[in-house]
Amino acid sequence: MEQPATRSRASSSPLNRAVAVLALLAVPLLDRASRPAQVPPSPPPTIVIQEGVQRFAIPDCIPRKGDEASREVCRTVTQVLRADLQFENLFKFVPQSLMSAIPTMDPEAPNFTDWKGVGAGVLVVSRAQVTGGEATVEVRVHAVETGQAMLTKRYSGRTDNPRVFAHLASDDIMTLTQYRGVARSKIAFVSDRDAVPGRKTKEIYIMDYDGYNPRRVTVNRSLNILPNWSPDGRALAYVSYRRGNPDIFVASIYEGRSADLTGDKGGGAFAPSISPDGKRVAFASSRAGNMDIWLAGIDGSSPRRLTASGSLDTAPTWSPTGQEIAFTSDRSGSPQIYVMDTEGLNVRRLTTFGNWNDAPSWNPSKQFGEIAYTARLESGGFDIAVVDIGSRQVRQLTQGRGSCEYPSWAPSGRHLTFACGRGGKWQIAVADRLGQTITMLPAGPGKNEQPDWGP
Amino acid sequence: MTCRLMRAWVVLAMAASLAAGCGGKKRPAAVSTAPPSTSDSGGRTLPTEVPAPVETGPDVSSLGAETARGEDFTISNPDTGEGGPLEDIHFEYDSANLTDRARSALERHALWLQNHRDAKVLVEGHCDERGTVEYNLALGEKRARAARDYLANLGVGSERLRTTSYGKERPLDPGSNDAVWAANRRAHFNVSR
Repeated sequence: MEQPATRSRASSSPLNRAVAVLALLAVPLLDRASRPAQVPPSPPPTIVIQEGVQRFAIPDCIPRKGDEASREVCRTVTQVLRADLQFENLFKFVPQSLMSAIPTMDPEAPNFTDWKGVGAGVLVVSRAQVTGGEATVEVRVHAVETGQAMLTKRYSGRTDNPRVFAHLASDDIMTLTQYRGVARSKIAFVSDRDAVPGRKTKEIYIMDYDGYNPRRVTVNRSLNILPNWSPDGRALAYVSYRRGNPDIFVASIYEGRSADLTGDKGGGAFAPSISPDGKRVAFASSRAGNMDIWLAGIDGSSPRRLTASGSLDTAPTWSPTGQEIAFTSDRSGSPQIYVMDTEGLNVRRLTTFGNWNDAPSWNPSKQFGEIAYTARLESGGFDIAVVDIGSRQVRQLTQGRGSCEYPSWAPSGRHLTFACGRGGKWQIAVADRLGQTITMLPAGPGKNEQPDWGP
Repeated sequence: MTCRLMRAWVVLAMAASLAAGCGGKKRPAAVSTAPPSTSDSGGRTLPTEVPAPVETGPDVSSLGAETARGEDFTISNPDTGEGGPLEDIHFEYDSANLTDRARSALERHALWLQNHRDAKVLVEGHCDERGTVEYNLALGEKRARAARDYLANLGVGSERLRTTSYGKERPLDPGSNDAVWAANRRAHFNVSR
């Protein structure tokens, strides 16, 4: 028997934010949809979804009109919403075989007894219709135990990408939990799919977290690599050889602007990493004669050198607090991960196991004090590993997939992405933070690599 | 957009949920670009999922112009890394040390450069595919500098020598075996006159 799907809000502080947001966003139920826009706000919901407690039932979306366009939107919404919530790796689900035993319901009045009977704790009812080229998708989330609506949302927009309705709904449903949803997040990556014939050019792209909707960001037909998201998700720092030398640029991807961050100072500039507050960028450059970590304002102002070890120092990544930077250095004779503060002081070595540990990515959630990196754990290939900063314990996430490298955490810190492959065949993977489920994304043609998971 | 305006939009545009709240985190959802929804009861408007990417933005032409500048800079045959009067030198795995064979080649290069005073060289460091992107970019830079420093010590003016690194981004051969890797671990000399 499932636990009741309710929980008093009371003073459970981590949930207050979600509840407050719900109070703001709660919309009237469908039967009142034709009333004037001035609707008194609904009372704050007092129900939240607890990880792993209630079982989700996500029956097929119901097309409001029987036309093919509405059915098509519904098919996508059903499929993507299920995939999104499953990917969150927090919930249990009522199997489709059990759901199909329940007769098609009136979306206005689900028979909660039926749903209780198949073990559902949370019922997600969705329907869609297409009118005049615009799709409207309505999603209601009910606590089956009480029948109470926890969330009622209407999404509308063009019909060319109905996946986004499901992504929005999934992230909205996640506001009923204590976690941030991942469905609307984007992954930036590098691909040679549009390489100029006979030239080895690469461009920067972004795609949905599930690998759909890849879109090209850079169009300069040069070598563009190492993208790194700004924390607001509106800009990407990256390295471009458009002037012949590797320099760092910042693209405001939705405005189509590109700013020159490092200038053409010689020595090149690599591996940009924007600070959690979006105000600074750490990078690697040999402009002072050796490959060191540098720090500058996001506009490139006041660059200063943080390391001067005489070894190769590169691949900086910020701690969630913005007070420390992890990086790779071969000062010990082999590449290893080190941590320092933003003055370049208090340097300490983090990895001790293995003779090649590189490309660190600091988990952005303060809940997990850990750094993912690329490790050579067996002869030949590279794999993704995660080191716990406190205990120094290492867990290996990948094995036997050729080489895997370039880990990057999702903003929630509960998933990460990396690239796996060999030679010209590289593709992008996503995994939960324990590596229990690793999925290769349908990222499209070409060699796809260097993923960076952004907001 | 002011907070007051934002509040007025909440019912209509709800677009950014968590994001659109005053002082909240901003996300690329259609906060400022969304036209009002025709819904009168609180739908969220999504005319486009996010604004247009760079190539259709207003500054596309500026990106294109910068590309042209980049191409103007390129020398001899930089994209294939082949050809040119100065042969590549090669390195051991994960090393920027000059081998005896590399030193001999560099001595020939220095002689050629003494006889061609108008020639300038961009030394490109390249790596094999093993190891990470960032580390190989650093290693490629170190290889290029090792070659440059040796040429400078042989009397080639440092103003004629520049370095850059392509790491493992532009291998001569995309294959995966010892012979391919050895060929890809190199410094390439881009000569301009």
